[in-house]
Parts: sequence; C-alpha cells; structure tokens
Amino acid sequence: MKVLKDTIQWQGDSVVVTATRSERKLSNLTVPVTIINAKTIQQTGSLRLTDILKEQPGLTMTSGFGAGVQLQGLNPDYTTILINGEPLVGRTAGVLDLNRIALGNVKKIEIVKGPSSSLYGSEAMAGVINIITDQNTTIPIQFSARYGTYQTKDLSVDHALNSKSFFYQGFYNYYNTDGYSIRPNSLSRVTTPITRFTTHQQFKYHINDNTNLLLAIRYTKEQIQNDISVSNGGVTIHSNGTENINDYNVTATLNHRFSSQLKTSFRSYLTQYDSKQDLLTLSGGSYIDLLNHLFHRIENQTDWVVQKNLTAIFGAGSVIEGVKSSRYDSEQLRKTNNIQYAFTQWEWLPIKKMTFIVGARFDQNAAFASAFSPKFSMLYKINTIHKLKMSIGQGFKAPDFRQLYLNFTNAAAGGYSVFGSAQAQKAITDLNGLGQIGILYDNYYQLKILQPEYSTGVHLAWDIEPNPSTFLSFQLFRNDIKNLIEVQQLGAYTSGAQIFSYLNIGRAFTTGGEFEFRKQITNQFSINGGYQLVITGDKDQITQIKAGTVYTRDANGNSRRLTMSDYVGLPNNSKHKGQLKLNYTKENGLFANMRLLYRSRWAVNNTNGNQVFDNGDSFADGYISIHASIGKNYKNGYGVQIGCDNITNYIDAVHLPNLPGRTFFMTLKYQINHKK
Amino acid sequence: MLTTIKKMATIVITSISIIGCTKNQDTILAPLTATVVKDLAADTVLGIASNGMPYSAGKYTFYSLEKNAIVPNTDSASTKWDIALYSTKILTNAGTSGTGMGGAFVYTGLFDDLKTIPTDSVFKTDNAPASYAVPYGSGKGWYTYDQATSLVTPLAGRVLVIRTASGKYAKIEIMNYYKGGVTLPLTASAADKLSKQRYYTFRFIFQSNGSKTF
Repeated sequence: MKVLKDTIQWQGDSVVVTATRSERKLSNLTVPVTIINAKTIQQTGSLRLTDILKEQPGLTMTSGFGAGVQLQGLNPDYTTILINGEPLVGRTAGVLDLNRIALGNVKKIEIVKGPSSSLYGSEAMAGVINIITDQNTTIPIQFSARYGTYQTKDLSVDHALNSKSFFYQGFYNYYNTDGYSIRPNSLSRVTTPITRFTTHQQFKYHINDNTNLLLAIRYTKEQIQNDISVSNGGVTIHSNGTENINDYNVTATLNHRFSSQLKTSFRSYLTQYDSKQDLLTLSGGSYIDLLNHLFHRIENQTDWVVQKNLTAIFGAGSVIEGVKSSRYDSEQLRKTNNIQYAFTQWEWLPIKKMTFIVGARFDQNAAFASAFSPKFSMLYKINTIHKLKMSIGQGFKAPDFRQLYLNFTNAAAGGYSVFGSAQAQKAITDLNGLGQIGILYDNYYQLKILQPEYSTGVHLAWDIEPNPSTFLSFQLFRNDIKNLIEVQQLGAYTSGAQIFSYLNIGRAFTTGGEFEFRKQITNQFSINGGYQLVITGDKDQITQIKAGTVYTRDANGNSRRLTMSDYVGLPNNSKHKGQLKLNYTKENGLFANMRLLYRSRWAVNNTNGNQVFDNGDSFADGYISIHASIGKNYKNGYGVQIGCDNITNYIDAVHLPNLPGRTFFMTLKYQINHKK
Repeated sequence: MLTTIKKMATIVITSISIIGCTKNQDTILAPLTATVVKDLAADTVLGIASNGMPYSAGKYTFYSLEKNAIVPNTDSASTKWDIALYSTKILTNAGTSGTGMGGAFVYTGLFDDLKTIPTDSVFKTDNAPASYAVPYGSGKGWYTYDQATSLVTPLAGRVLVIRTASGKYAKIEIMNYYKGGVTLPLTASAADKLSKQRYYTFRFIFQSNGSKTF
C-alpha cells in the first residue's frame, strides 16, 4: 500500500498533532502532552472514553449531567473534546457526556494540558482532548464481543478496504447495559438501562500524489430508560420515561500539497446533537426536555516551511451554530451565533537544542465580545537526558447558549427562575409590568453583555530520560481565571421565589504539580505511574477570609473566624491523586495488567452555609480503586481477554454514582490478519 | 401529648439550672456570661398528612430572655415575652407582632466581639407579612436552607441583637436547629429531617441594667 507523504504517518506512536496542529514528534513538543495508544485502550479493556480517561494523570471524572472530565482542577466546561480535530457539541450544564464516545476504532487519544485557545478557540482553557481514529488500518475485518456484569454487552465490527487510490473503513458498535442500583431499596437505578449504537464511516480518496479527499460520517444513537425519584421538602416524585439522543458528525477535508514547503487543507464540518427526554410522573404529569445543538464550521489551514528552521501555520474559519431548547423562551426558535476567527503560529529553531513557538488567535463573535488568545512556548534540550519546557498562554471560554438564553422556571422546587443574561432584562421588565416582581437587588443593575471567561496558564516541565527504559517528568502549573460566569440572584418574585441570572464576577486559580514515571523493568514487565497535587481557590473568597469576614463554628457550636488553614478551595476537587500501573506483556501475545487509582477527599456540599468550602463542610471520602485485566492475542487472529474492575468493591452511591461495585467482563476478538 | 409535657419539663429544668448558675456568676464576676438554651421546640412537625405534606400545631413558642423561660401561649398578647419562635421565623415584641418595646437587627460578626451595640444601629420592628426585624428566609437573616438536602443551617457569624419587650437589650447566637444540637447528616432519612427539626439551641446574654454594653 502506498502512503502519501502528506498523510499522517504513525511512526511508532510518537507523532502528535493536537499540540501544534501539525505532525510533530512527542520528543520535540514544547507543551505537556499525554498520549494514550490503542494498545493501552485494548489492554485495559476500555469501552467508552470515560473508562480510559479516568486512569490518566491530572484528569478526574465528574458525575452529574453525564460523565465529564476535570483537567488540572478546572471543570468539564473548560476542556475541548475533539474527534479527529473537530469539536463535539451537546453539553448539558457545560458537561459533555464522555460515555457517548466508543473507543473501538480509536488509534490514539492526545491530551494537551494548558490553555490552547490560541489554536482551538473557545473552551480550550484547561486543555484539549483529541480522539484520533484509525485512518490507515490494513486489517480487512475484525470482530469483538464482550459480556460483563449487569448484562453489559458490547459488539464491535471494524472493516477496511484498501486500494491504490482509495481507503474505506467502517466501524459499528452496539452497547447495551441493564444499569445498576447501588443504593439499597431504591426504586431508581444509579445508572439506568442504556442502549447505544455508534457507526463511523471513513472514506479517503487519493486524487493524485499531492491531493487527497477525506470524508467521514459518525453517528451515535443512544436510548436511556429513566426511572427518576426527585425528593424535595420530604415529598418524593417518581417519574419514568425515555431519553433519546441522536448525534451525528460529518466531515469533509481536502488536503493539497503545492510543494515541499507549502500545503493547505480545507475542512467543512457539520454536527448536530439532539436530545429529547420524555418523562411521565406516576401521577400522570408529563415532562419533556429538549435540546438541539447544530454546529457548522468551515476552515482553512495552510502550513508553510519558510526556511529550514522556521515554519508557519495560518488558519481562518467561520462557525454558524444554533441551539433550540425547551428551557429557552421558545423551543421552536433557534438561538444562533456566528464566529469568525483567524490564527497563526510560528515555530523557530534558532539552534538544534531550542524550539520557540509563538501563536495567537482572534475570535470575532456576534453574540458576545470577541477574544484574543496568544501563546508562547519553548523547549530546551539541555542534553540527551534532560529537557525543559515552558509555556504561557491565554485561554477563553465564550458564554454558552444557556448562559445567554436560558428561561427556566422550576415549578417543582419553589418556582425559582433562571434567566440567561441576554433575556434577563426583558423578562424582568415584563414580569414587573405584570406586578410579579417583589424586590430587585443591586445585582440586577449590574447586568450587562456577558464577556468571555479568561485564563492565563503557565506550565513548566522537566523531562528526564536517563536511558531508553526509564522516563521521569516533573511539571508545575498555574492557571489564573478571571471573569468567571456565575449564577447570581437578581431579585425575587412577590411570592418570595428567587430570580437568578449570570454575571461575570468570579476570579479563581488552580495550581499544582505533577510527577510521572515509566520504567521497563524486564522485557516483559513494566511499571508506570504518577502523582498530582492540585490546589484551587476562589480569589474573592480568599480576600474575604483574610479580611476576617467569613465565619465557621468551633466544636462547641460557637461561631469563630475562618482561617486559611480551614479553606479547601473549589468544590469537587481532590488535592491529591495518584496512579500506579503494572504491565506484563510477552512476545507470544499474553498480556496482563493491574492499575491502582487513588483520589483524596473532595468537598461536595457547603453544609455550614458560609458560601466558602472549608473543613466544616461535607466531603466525599478519598478512595483507591483497583482494576486488572489479563488476555492473549493469538497469531491466527483470535484474542481473548478477561478483566475485573473495582476489585475491592468500593462503593459511594451518593458521591460516585458512576462507579459501580466490582464488575467482571470477558472479551473475544477475531481479526483477519492482512497478508503482506 | 405526654411526650410534649416531658420535653417542656426538660427545658424548664435545664433553664432553672442555667438561671441558678448565671445568678451565682453575676454576683461574683462582673462580665456577663452567656446562657445556653437547648432544644427549645418551635412548632415541631407532628406528622405527615395524607397529601404528603408535613403538619404541625401551628403555634409559636414565646420566650422571655429576661426570665430565661418559656411564656405560656395565653400570654401572647402581653409584654411578658421577648422573642417568639415558629419554625425558622423569629418575632420580636413590637410592631405587628406585639405591644412591647421590642425590635431587632442582625449583626454580622462574632458573638463575643459584640461588646457594645454600635450607636448608629437601627432596630427594626416586625411589619408582617412584608418584613420582620429578624429577616425570614434562606440566606436573608440567620440561616440557610438547602433545597437539595432539605437541611436548615444557622449561619456562623450572625448575632441577633434584640430589644426586649421592656426596652432592654440582649444578644443571641443561634447555634443549631435540630434536636440534640447536632445538624443531621445529609444522608439522614426524610422522616428524621422533618421530625428532628425546629429544636433551637442558642446562647444569649441579657443586659438587665438597660445599657447597650454586654
């Protein structure tokens, strides 16, 4: 098979595309990147994106509105999720449910830590996770079937056709689970019965040696059987029904190489996420929740090798997106936004040991203020063993549709309302005209056009590779965030029910360090792991604590001033995290591994009412979970694997609804090996 | 009914022992010391009605800070009481609530740090149902109510500065809202969260000489 020079050649697994939007060897990168390759995904028995991300250093899975990912202490809202470089949409309360993504045809996952808005625009404040599918497989067909606890069934078929000028790959996945209930005597299941179907079709056509065309379609259908109990003031309401999610992504890319110095790529991307939750309460009342997000982007990127040690990237694009939701004023009317953007990046190697990268992006928005995102990074190879990396960049997250257009009144919980900032003024004026407004606070007069949230991130890394079988990395990071969009009470109805909207008021930081290591002990046996320390804080709260205006109670129940030693920072953040993984691989295809994951306690609820998370609040306990898997891949194409997740059966139904008790699985695989 | 009488008896006995203690200290030590009142029932939940909503007797508990004792409901129209408690609502004896010289405001700070009521302080009186001297509602006065957990938590660093029915001054810190003076865990049953609430534990200092200094 002939591989074009401008297509991505996976030399080993050390080529990274996400960090610079161009193929670069991992060892030449100026920013911290984690790579998860297909072998790791297979050997850990991971099915969905959540399964593998939860084992990565610096990442924490969150629950609530689906499984989201927290990166270096920043919430799921601030990480861009890409499939082959194109963003996924369809976030609920800022969270994109990572269980949507099947891993069957994934070649590798690249995780870039640190603000990356200079290349990717909004949301890439904490970092970027790019899922890269296999677009070069030579395996004509492979099957995989898995069965596990809670009647979890997963079937995958992956087949490919190759010719001199044409490549086709089709991937199909069916996943079904009965769900589980880890709360005793509970009517509702923590994870409900779910059926998911995913297909990913990829066509590549080599028009000539310098030009190729890529067309990819991905479609996911998900059906969730809901059985929900909502308790409010001692009154519990049961309801059941289904939630249907349809998500498709269509990409068309034309790549052309003018010369060895100049190449360009045109991309058109269309995606739609559609979710409909249809519930019926046991008393007969119906509840329907709709969300439809449409996103269309066209983009050009041109790569220019100016001279041997200087390369430049220029890009520009346009986005049209719109959202319809039953939580807006009209579910028929699509709220829209247009974004035009341009970016550039320059990479300069003044001497062989040093790389400097400077880049910037400008995003012009119709619905809110525009944003400028610069970034500078550098690499210094002291010698063959030691490497230093430094990066500083600005990231942003544009206000999302919910923060602009939400128009939601919760009749079930006291009739409070939340209005998006673009709606609040008019909605409150209208209500006032009807005589329904009881009181307006100062916050109401602070309402203005929402600005993006900004972060400035600094990353330092020191990589040590004393010999080919040993790798160590020390990293330090700090992110300072301003303009955080927070829900604030504007006033109250005459009934006393509260009225909320969004204001740019918060300032926060996350800072910490990471340590990672890998060691190949023998030809078969290797060990790797990491430790992360993350410290977070709300800067305004810290000012108040230092001023002595925040209180808590002593052991006798008497009030006292809160001190900084009581303060724990942002909720849902564990200060310590660690991973330890033992791997065994034999030449005959036998493999085994055991993974230990540790997470320290995290604050979940402000129980003492002082608005600040401190030692007097309620925490989820820290825990260790242990996972193991063993399998063998035979030369004739068959493969078998068994595994056990959460071996010690750690359960915390309240704080970790996504962690079932001990589960087992067995996978059978067959692939027709290609003939050379 | 019998249990209610028992509860009342417990409170009265506790109160008497506290009074005794306070009087002794009054004569020996110059600075006033705080009196702790435990488990003062304020219209506790009696059960769940057939419609699923909790119900109670719907009666205020009247309290005299001056005497450190419960005032019978028959004296509700008198100036014998200084504060009246009804779930999270606290009345003072003036305005729409009574005929006394009462009033109050919420001071943000520590109980012990409030040694003298600032001269520019404004005492409010009850103007039901629009406003109360001690504001009523989550986050507005002395407590927060979390809808997710259905728990009431008295805010730390809040002092209720009270003008009594007779026009003297007292300061109160509400410490807990649940029976036994311990807020229930988030995971407590809904039944426990209802039956064990509306039991006030608070500490107060009453200045009998009429000055604003404690």
